[in-house]
Amino acid sequence: MKAPSVNVARAIAPVVALLVLQGCSRPPPPQTADDKGPEAAAATPAPVGKAGFSPYTARSYPTRVYWGDQHLHTSWSPDAVGAGTRVGPEEALRFARGEEIVSSTGIPVKLARPLDWLAVSDHSDAMGIMSEVIAGNPKLMTDPVLKRWNKQMNADAQQAYAAVLEGIAMQGKGQLPTPMKDPAVALDMWHKMTAIMEGYNDPGRFTAFIAYEWTSNYGGGNNLHRNVIYRDGKALADQLSPLTTFVSENPEDLWKWMQSYEQRTGGKLLAIPHNGNLSNGLMFATTTFKGDPITREWAETRARYEPLYEITQGKGTSEQHPSLAPSDEFAQFEIWDKGNLNVVPKKPGMIQFEYAREALKNGLAIEARVGANPFKFGMAGGTDNHTGLTTAEEDNFFGKFPSSEPSPERWSENAFNFEGRTIKGWELGASGYTGVWATANTREALWDAMQRKEVYGTTGPRITVRLFGGFEFQAQDARTRDLAAVGYAKGVPMGGDLSRAPAGKSPTFLVAAMKDPLSGNLDRIQIVKGWVDAKGATREKVYDVVWSQAERRKPGKDGRLPSVGNTVDLATGTWRNTIGDPELVTVWKDPEFDPAQRAFYYARVIEIPTPRWTLLDSLRFGVKMGPEVPMTLQERAYTSPIWYSPS
Amino acid sequence: MSVVPLIGRVLREPLLHFLLIGLALFVAYDRFGPAGGGGERIVVTRSTVDELSRQFAARWMRPPTEQELSGLVDTWVREEIYYREGLALGLDREDPVIKRRLRQKLEVMQEESLGGDAPTDTVLKDYLGRNADRFREPARTTFEQVYFSGSAPVAEVERLVAAARQALARGADPGTLGQSMMLAQRHDDTPMDIVSRDFGAEFAARLAELPTGTWQGPIASAYGAHLVRVSVRKSGTLPPLEQIRPAVIREWESERRREAATQAYAEMRSRYWIEIEAKP
Repeated sequence: MKAPSVNVARAIAPVVALLVLQGCSRPPPPQTADDKGPEAAAATPAPVGKAGFSPYTARSYPTRVYWGDQHLHTSWSPDAVGAGTRVGPEEALRFARGEEIVSSTGIPVKLARPLDWLAVSDHSDAMGIMSEVIAGNPKLMTDPVLKRWNKQMNADAQQAYAAVLEGIAMQGKGQLPTPMKDPAVALDMWHKMTAIMEGYNDPGRFTAFIAYEWTSNYGGGNNLHRNVIYRDGKALADQLSPLTTFVSENPEDLWKWMQSYEQRTGGKLLAIPHNGNLSNGLMFATTTFKGDPITREWAETRARYEPLYEITQGKGTSEQHPSLAPSDEFAQFEIWDKGNLNVVPKKPGMIQFEYAREALKNGLAIEARVGANPFKFGMAGGTDNHTGLTTAEEDNFFGKFPSSEPSPERWSENAFNFEGRTIKGWELGASGYTGVWATANTREALWDAMQRKEVYGTTGPRITVRLFGGFEFQAQDARTRDLAAVGYAKGVPMGGDLSRAPAGKSPTFLVAAMKDPLSGNLDRIQIVKGWVDAKGATREKVYDVVWSQAERRKPGKDGRLPSVGNTVDLATGTWRNTIGDPELVTVWKDPEFDPAQRAFYYARVIEIPTPRWTLLDSLRFGVKMGPEVPMTLQERAYTSPIWYSPS
Repeated sequence: MSVVPLIGRVLREPLLHFLLIGLALFVAYDRFGPAGGGGERIVVTRSTVDELSRQFAARWMRPPTEQELSGLVDTWVREEIYYREGLALGLDREDPVIKRRLRQKLEVMQEESLGGDAPTDTVLKDYLGRNADRFREPARTTFEQVYFSGSAPVAEVERLVAAARQALARGADPGTLGQSMMLAQRHDDTPMDIVSRDFGAEFAARLAELPTGTWQGPIASAYGAHLVRVSVRKSGTLPPLEQIRPAVIREWESERRREAATQAYAEMRSRYWIEIEAKP
């Protein structure tokens, strides 16, 4: 299912062919560089160099990005199975690990490359689908022991307790009455879910997170959904049932539930909200759920439990709405702004409380007022596919529901239809993934990186991005052979904090990006700055900090960089990496810094144009799509911010 | 105990409580349920109330207040009434969502109804032998690379590569040659699937063929051209069962479940005679 593409490898093939293969033989010198993943670290050291010689062997910082999806539904989500999804959590994990499976509509499917981790986040509502089977199962009464227990349970508390103890003892010895071993009875879907995740969690090679989605559609489709991600294994996760929205639709109750889980088990949880763009003004409202002013405690609680936000996914991108940033030429990207999840239209004034950048700005203003920032979050990506298939690549897009799995009609069908208010299939995006800078591929290391926000979201491509902030970065740091060593030594990584600028100093940023080997070259890196000005108003500015073909492309009089161009051939669905660069790196200093003003900075990395899934579909199925359907896109990565605070 | 350790682990104490309460609910319903005659009667049994209470406590670590419990009971009653009214109107018929849900329940039940004990070592060793490729460790390679960006003109890359090769022949430190990039100059004992992900599949394929100990290339990656020296190459080995037992059990169980599902469907299918009407 790969679209042909002309990449750098092919572009430089003539060079490689021209140069005669010749070796130069000499004994290997002592080795220094050592940028290895945990897989390598766990293995026998290679017989070169001397132990202790390398200054990097004790590195404690992350040297590798681990790619995954924190937002995937399977047939265990009621809306998914209702829509015809057949792929369950186990198949979903196998697929994410790189195996070929068959989709719900019968199409064989495989990822171009495996992911490193996956969180299956099925809806908690109705996950316990078997309870009514349990309640009504007449098989139980055929067993004399059960019949006796039954009487005891109905007699009094003491006798009931005795029956329970007897049962536990029998279970320990493997002697439970036969009908109870009948799994038709013995099913609690949450426990089964955590068992599956446990079975596929393979520390060092593949991480399976225990997770669920708390799906609050408060007030009729106002999307307040959150994915709850466990750092812990089954033993802890089983102790509390996931929160459902039958119990509460108020996110503050979710935080309470998370707190009670942590207190009871000693475990750790974080929640990742998503689709603020479909919340009709509620996701980042600057009041509490009930409309009261935000207090310091409220802000601290939210920031603690919600360290990340899903900035891009299949139902649109929520970075920034074009109407809120008219001068940001890249804001018009996969925008869903017709209404909420039920396509109830938006009213004026809602959009400003739905998008990440605006929330980051409002968070600074709230912090100035109450002493804590409720919207201090980093960036994640997720697919939110309900197919069990975490596909975020344009040439391998299997849609949101089985109805949007590959077919000649999927582009024109209604992806959503509420009483005639529709979203078309072509509006679905093949997006996104989360890159995690972690020290190892384990639940603990990945989760810890998420909590410290050393993660970033992409619209699908696996673009490698580093961002460090400090006051001492210099131009030559961009040319160092070991970027990370310099970055960590002189600054903080994405997700970190800067404060109290030394007199006369401005924040400096070391930022680097490397293309996905399977996707387009890079057009540019931008730094997005948001701040609160002297009058207390929130402001933002997008800076182009490094771009491809810099020798030819100079900003115009209006300060704008000329477009990188577009090499996509609409007739074949191919592109050429003759524009853009495989790697971009620079050091940037904030030219308009005021040490008294709160600010945040995050990097946005933009690829050259490549074919959107709609173009590839139109060629594969030979269908002609309407002029409203975009055929190319500029994929991108959004890093978590670095915050500056005057005190 | 149940067949699969996975399920064995599922059968822990809280679940047992749950079952026992469910069982009590069934009995209570049986005893106090509709007695025939009169209007439709809904009895919220003590067990139902207890179960609602228990579910609440399982989430909140405290019993519900009276008001909360009354809210839970109201919701339960409302749902039950809608459910019965819906059934009376036949709304469950020909509803694809309900069909799929029932199919899923039955499939889960069938899949879990595999009897038997945990697999013996003999069974697992046999399985491992038949599926060796699935459990083989990836090959590993230790190599260094000197990078030349693909964005430079071809002639320029050629010139730089030739100069670097001469420098290497003179014994220059490879860390001072070529250009810096985000991928490291040296990669120690790295699994080839990771090399493939980092540099691209074509690069990994070429790397696997290069002789060891000498500078070779250039070979192409998605980023540009690389001079490469492979120092150590290890082929992928098949670990003994003891080292990978959980993975082998997982795969064995998974295969068995799939087989059981296929068989269960075949069995049910054999009880039906399917007629498909021809076009008129």
